[in-house]
Amino acid sequence: MRPTTLPARRIHVKSVQDLPISGLSRRRFLAGVGTGVGAAAAMTVVAGCGGKGKTTTPPNNSTITDADILTFALNLEYLEAEFYLRAVTGEGLSAADAGSGAGAVTGGTQVQFKTPAIQQYAQEIANDELAHVRFLRKALGSSAVSRPPIDLTNSFNTAASAAGIGAAFNPFADENSFLVGAFTFEDVGVTAYHGAASLLTVSSDLAAAAGILATEAYHAGTIRTLIAELGAPYLTYANQISALRATAGGGAETTLSGSTIVAADSNSISYDRTTDQVLHIVYLSAAAGVVSKGGFFPSGLNGKITATAS
Amino acid sequence: MENTVNTLETLPSEKTSTRRSAVLLGGAALAGLALSRTAFAQSTTVTDADILNFALNLEYLEGQFYTLATTGMTLDQAGLSTKGGDGSAGGTVTVKANPKVTFTTPLLQQLANEIAMDEQNHVKFLQTALGTAAVAQPNIDLMTSFNTLAQAAGLGASFDPFASETNFLLGAFIFEDVGVTAYQGAAALITSKAYLDKAVGIHNVEAYHAAAIRTRIFQAGTAAQNISQAIAATRAKLDGTNTDDIGVGLNGGAATIVDNDANGMTYARTTSQVLSIVYGGGSGGGVFYPSGLNGTIK
Repeated sequence: MRPTTLPARRIHVKSVQDLPISGLSRRRFLAGVGTGVGAAAAMTVVAGCGGKGKTTTPPNNSTITDADILTFALNLEYLEAEFYLRAVTGEGLSAADAGSGAGAVTGGTQVQFKTPAIQQYAQEIANDELAHVRFLRKALGSSAVSRPPIDLTNSFNTAASAAGIGAAFNPFADENSFLVGAFTFEDVGVTAYHGAASLLTVSSDLAAAAGILATEAYHAGTIRTLIAELGAPYLTYANQISALRATAGGGAETTLSGSTIVAADSNSISYDRTTDQVLHIVYLSAAAGVVSKGGFFPSGLNGKITATAS
Repeated sequence: MENTVNTLETLPSEKTSTRRSAVLLGGAALAGLALSRTAFAQSTTVTDADILNFALNLEYLEGQFYTLATTGMTLDQAGLSTKGGDGSAGGTVTVKANPKVTFTTPLLQQLANEIAMDEQNHVKFLQTALGTAAVAQPNIDLMTSFNTLAQAAGLGASFDPFASETNFLLGAFIFEDVGVTAYQGAAALITSKAYLDKAVGIHNVEAYHAAAIRTRIFQAGTAAQNISQAIAATRAKLDGTNTDDIGVGLNGGAATIVDNDANGMTYARTTSQVLSIVYGGGSGGGVFYPSGLNGTIK
C-alpha cells in the first residue's frame, strides 16, 4: 500500500457542526464567557482561515485571565481524578486536595480489576490526575477553586442512554467498562487543553498546560489502544460515546479503530475545543443554548467559566 | 511475540530507573521543573520559521523511519518530496536493504501504518506552512545510528529496528518521546499564536503515538521494557539531565506509560538537548543526522 493513500482511513466525526479546525481565536475559545458572542458568530470570525495556520484576531474585550483558564482546567482535573482514584482505590480526593467546602461526589466504586496490566495503567493515570489537581491548586494558590459537586452515576447513565448504549452504564462494573468510562474523558481533556494552550498569556502557564496536555494525550493513546484491542462491544460503546461528544462538542472526533488510534484531523494535528464545546460535553447537553450545569457537574463548574453562551 | 532484541546482561544500572527515582534525582525544584525548561539557550533572533524548520528536520527522520518500516520505501519513493522550498535537493537516507518490517500482529501493523501517515502529514504540513523557506531533508542514517545508540545504551554492538515487531517498537520508542519533548520545548518559543496552536496539535499527536508504542512495549514484557529503560537512560544522559526520561515499566503498582514527572507533566527539552540526543552527543551532526540538521538551529 502506498503511504500516500493512507489518509483516507481516518474518519472525522462532525455530526453537528463542521467547524474549521484551524484559526482558533480567543474569542472562539471563550465564546461562552460573558461577551454574549455566540458560537455562530465566533465561527464566522474564523471561517475561511483554511489550514495554513492563519487566524483572524478579533477584538479582545474579554476579561478572562490565565487564572480563569487554569481554573477551568482544574475543574476538569477534579472530575478525572475522582473517576480514576475511585476506580483504583475506592476513595476519591482527600479533603485537603478537594479544597474547603468541596462539593459532594456521587458514585464511583473500586473496580475489581482482573488484568494486572489494566490496574497498573489505571493506577498510573490516577496518580497523574491527582498530580494535576495538586499542581493546579498550588499554581493558583489562594484563588484555587474547590471541587464542585460531581456525579459519576447519573451522568454515565444519561450519557449511555443518549449515546444509544442503553438505559444504564456503570464504568465501575468491570475493567472493560472502566476503559470505556476512561475513554469518555481522555480525548476531551486533550481537546480542552489544546484549545486553551494558545490563549494563555504567560509563558510559564503555557509550559505547564503543554506538559499536562501531552500527559492527557498519552493517557488517551493508551486507553484508545486498549479499547481497539478489546473490540466489540466495548469498541462500539466507545464510538457511540465519541459520536455523542461530537454532537455536543462541535465534531472534533476521530472514530476509534485499530488503524485510527490517534484522534486528529486530516493534517494529523489534534483537535481543539472551545470552553463552550467542552461545557456542552461535560454537562451532557448537546442541544444549543445556554447551559450552566448538568451531567458530570450537577451544580456546574466552579470559577468564572461555567456557562455556555450558546 | 517474536523477540530478537539484544541480550540484557550488559544493561547499565539505569535500567531500574523509575519515575520516582528520576524525580528524586531531579532535585528539589520539582514544582518548577516543567517551567524552568522554558529557559532556552538560543538567542532571540530565532524566528518561528527557524523553529518550524527544526521540527521539519525531526519529522523527516520520523517520516523516513515509519515509511521504510511499513512500505520499504523512502519518502521520495512513496511520493513525498524531501526537497526544500527553494528546490534544493533532499539528502540521502542510509538504511539496510529491505527494511520493511515483517508484521505478524495486524493491529500493530495498522498502528505502524497510521503513524507513518501522521508523520508524512506532519512533513507535508510543515513544508506547506514554511513555503519557500522550508528546508530540504538533511542526510539521515537509520542503520549505523541505531548501532551506535545500542552500544551507548549497553545493548550490544548492533540493533536492527526493522528486524522484528519488538525491535520496531523499540526503534519507534527512541523517536516518539523525543518528539514530544521537542515540541513541548519549541512551543514556548513560538511567537505566532496560530503556529503555536498547530505545534501543540502536533505535540499531542506525537504523545498519542508515544503512548500507543509504549503500551505495546509494556505488553511485550520485561525484556522489552528493560531495553526501553536503557534507551531512556541514554537519552537522559545525552540531554544532560541524567533524569528526565522514563522508560516503560512499573513504578510501585503503577505502569510508566507516560514519560513525565512527579507533577504529571511531560518533560520539555531545549533544541540543544534534542540535538544532543539525535546527534548522539556530537556537535554539528552525528548518529541520525551525520551531516547535521538543515536550517539555523543545528
